Amino acid sequence: MSDVMVDHTQKLEETAVPNNLEQQDKQDEEQPQQSVQENAEYEDEELHKLLVPDITQLPLIPPSAVEFNFASYFAPDFMKPGNDQYVYRHANGLCVVGLASTHLAFKDKGGITAVDFNVGKSDRSGMKVTGKRKKNAQHFESNTALCKVCTNGDSYIVRCCVKGSLLEVNERLIKQPELLHSSADREGYIAIIMPKPADWLKVKASLLSLEEFKKLRALC
Amino acid sequence: MSNEVESPQVSDAMEVAQLSSLAAVDSHAGSCEAEMPSRLLNDAVRSLPYHVVKDLLSIGVCSRCVLRILGTEDHIYCHSSFSQSMLCSVLEEVTSFKSEGDFQFCSVCSGILQLSYRDDKETLVKMKSPNDMALVIAELVKKEGHQVDGFSLEVSIPQFILENESSLLSGMKKRYESEPWFQERLLSKCVSVKDVLKFAITKPLETLLDTKASASSFRIRLTYTHKMALENSVERNQGFKRRKIGTENGLQNVNDESVVANKDCSDYPTNETIAVTGRSSLKVPIDKVSEPCHLVYLCYRTHIYLCGRYLKYSRNVSQTRWIIDEERMGEASVEEIIGSNILPMCRGDNYKFHAAGREDIDVRMLGSGRPFLLEIQNARQVPSKETVKEIESKINGLENKLVGVKNLQVVGSQGWTLMREGEAEKQKQYCALVWISRPLEDEDVCSISLLHDMQILQKTPIRVLHRRSPLEREKIIHWMKIERIAESSQYFLLHLCTQAGTYIKEFVHGDFGRTQPSIGSILGCRAEILQLDVTDVKMDSF
Repeated sequence: MSDVMVDHTQKLEETAVPNNLEQQDKQDEEQPQQSVQENAEYEDEELHKLLVPDITQLPLIPPSAVEFNFASYFAPDFMKPGNDQYVYRHANGLCVVGLASTHLAFKDKGGITAVDFNVGKSDRSGMKVTGKRKKNAQHFESNTALCKVCTNGDSYIVRCCVKGSLLEVNERLIKQPELLHSSADREGYIAIIMPKPADWLKVKASLLSLEEFKKLRALC
Repeated sequence: MSNEVESPQVSDAMEVAQLSSLAAVDSHAGSCEAEMPSRLLNDAVRSLPYHVVKDLLSIGVCSRCVLRILGTEDHIYCHSSFSQSMLCSVLEEVTSFKSEGDFQFCSVCSGILQLSYRDDKETLVKMKSPNDMALVIAELVKKEGHQVDGFSLEVSIPQFILENESSLLSGMKKRYESEPWFQERLLSKCVSVKDVLKFAITKPLETLLDTKASASSFRIRLTYTHKMALENSVERNQGFKRRKIGTENGLQNVNDESVVANKDCSDYPTNETIAVTGRSSLKVPIDKVSEPCHLVYLCYRTHIYLCGRYLKYSRNVSQTRWIIDEERMGEASVEEIIGSNILPMCRGDNYKFHAAGREDIDVRMLGSGRPFLLEIQNARQVPSKETVKEIESKINGLENKLVGVKNLQVVGSQGWTLMREGEAEKQKQYCALVWISRPLEDEDVCSISLLHDMQILQKTPIRVLHRRSPLEREKIIHWMKIERIAESSQYFLLHLCTQAGTYIKEFVHGDFGRTQPSIGSILGCRAEILQLDVTDVKMDSF
């Protein structure tokens, strides 16, 4: 426990568990003279026991939030050789798309220098989707361009991979393109797309699972 | 039972016989209290202007209506044992009026105050005294199994009766306004049909139900409707207001009939203007009323509320019933566990569960518990304090220990305001089991505990983005504290107190960087959340 105790965390004082419990039991038998303070402490003890986990039951490395909540799919060489992209699909149907670690852009010596969402007919970073039904979202095809990823020597077009409504693009990439290097599969995601159930089924057929993708790219 | 008759005005043998029979009728009510009404009645009747009474009787106004229109106070003629025939004969005798023989429904109240009506089987019912009506009601209450601690009597009558009355009153004004008695018995003293009926039934009901009439959640409703009112309302379709007399509860078969049209008095034949003699004749809109009203008796209890706090010990129990494609999510729901244990103890029809906020199915609700309100519809019984304690013990003693309940109690309608009050304002306290991608350092524990009222920006989490608006919400993390776990360097417990509406899971793992800052970004590594528990929902009034 930290030595630094802040006032409003009094409730969470650690006390020697067994002793207190014994005292408490005795007091229970002696009956209703328990002070409010003692009652509160007892309840806190009980609560604390429920909160502390059994460490032996916990995995050394737990599954990540993405692994736990999303199904991972991959589109190798999408529209162009070397253009490996991922599609993480949530149980609610929303898809997060981005660059797979094997994407050609990462092999460039200078690294990724910029990300530009102004491709195709409009600047993807400018659109604002509102409302529960997201009616004003733009509908894109799977080969519609999302953004351009620039390296020192080259530039690569990143596409939707999934036909659907574009809900959001990761604007942070404009100011922080290095996010693609540090975590392309999390903070460096490219966009969020909402496909119709029928459209998803169609595209799913052409995507690879994690296992299949690993085999294809000979990853361990 | 004494046959004492003191009235000095008794001269006629027939009158003596009348009064004796009156006393005899009163006998079941017992002692001198019963004698007073009959004497009061006679005194009251004798003080009426006889020619007016005769006029009214001759146009088909019933005896109770005559008495009430002329301002006689309820208690005098509303005694539960006064029968129709008795009242009738007293009035007729005094005015030497002979009615035409056949029973006729009152041209003003359509038989309501003659205790005549058609029941739900369309049978014609003519009750002898208010006591008999009270008996029917008491039977219904018993049949429904209601346990009564008080009752509130409600009567609704067709609009046209009020119009009849108003038309008659204006006719009477024209005819009698020059007469001396008119000023004394100002027609504004006219007692309403509803009041008379309520007064007549209330005392016997109080006796039969062994309780008092009061502002109670238990309602007894008498709804009178009339076919004629319906026909007219169907014909007219311009400019009439529809008013619903009656609640949503239980008026299934009379829903249409309870919608009444607001009609213009001018539609009715007005009273003739002053004739040569200077006296207009008295008319009522409906000369011969051939059909009485249709009466529906209804007894029900308005919503009662139980409030308390619930705890959820399971990570597989949803707050409310959650069914997708006919399959239940989770093994049970808090709503059903609590509702199904309380409903039978109140013998109610239905329940509705309301809580101050909610938690995910995989999040436990511990500590002080979350305030909730259970609304019970048409409870036959309001549970006592002991019963409520039993229910609480029962729920807390259930074998599967999924849900717990605290501070369970019956509460009035203010329970609503108590719950809504500051629901969105309140702070919530949590405990999360967090894993980070590197060992925890002392500096981490320190820096986390130094953050106070830290503002974060959360984009709508991806897991709810499909059904919520894409927004960026500012939330406040009031304080945080790390509790190390003995045998682990990368797992720890994070205690935190946040503004209502904060997505805790996303605050820990960052949601693809869409929640800024997050635990991961603060500690400069990857952070994952394995378990979440709510440890406190701060609400003083509950």
